[in-house]
Amino acid sequence: MIPSSEWIVLDTNIWIFGLRNQSERPACAQVLQRLPRFSIKVPRQILLELGANLSHDEMDALFRLLNHYPDRVGISWERANAQLIQKYKELGCKAGDAAVAAHVETLNISVLVSENRDFLTEISGLPFQVLNAQEVLQKINS
Amino acid sequence: MSLNIDQLAEQIVTLDQTKQMALLEKVAELNFQHGLVDLSQMYRKRLEKEGRLTQTASEIMAQLGQIREETAAHDPVL
Repeated sequence: MIPSSEWIVLDTNIWIFGLRNQSERPACAQVLQRLPRFSIKVPRQILLELGANLSHDEMDALFRLLNHYPDRVGISWERANAQLIQKYKELGCKAGDAAVAAHVETLNISVLVSENRDFLTEISGLPFQVLNAQEVLQKINS
Repeated sequence: MSLNIDQLAEQIVTLDQTKQMALLEKVAELNFQHGLVDLSQMYRKRLEKEGRLTQTASEIMAQLGQIREETAAHDPVL
């Protein structure tokens, strides 16, 4: 069970597969549909990546949607802590993955939802859980 | 819609506070979901025009991985 007060981060792949309605990853669209039941943070690295994937109009539409829930959606343009980025790089992450992990730790997030957990599977003692979309759906339905 | 706004409001105020709150929450959720469907359709239409709608999940993952590293490379803090 993920309490609605617990902040989570959706990795870019969840947003993109969900918005594409990707038939191979149906759980991603379902997670987005249930977004009002979560408390979501969208950190800088994810925002930049969404901006690289979506057009200006699509980004505007996304922000308008997220603004429906100002108490439960937090947009964070702050840069990740450089020492934490370094820590994750030393643990074997590439720069971008290290930035995401550092954001998640800095924002005190309990769950990162991602369809690509490989970049963190080798790291023990992570201060947050990494779940895929299907696992999150199971948790909110349990 | 068979009820006009005033009639609908009259019906809603007969509900107790908890039900009114749940109803407003549900309306907000449906509005959000409709907006999400609209955004998804807009995005899919553009991808189709660009010939990218049929990309497989692994192709998309590879592309996202590339964008992640390019984005990080251009962010001065990294």
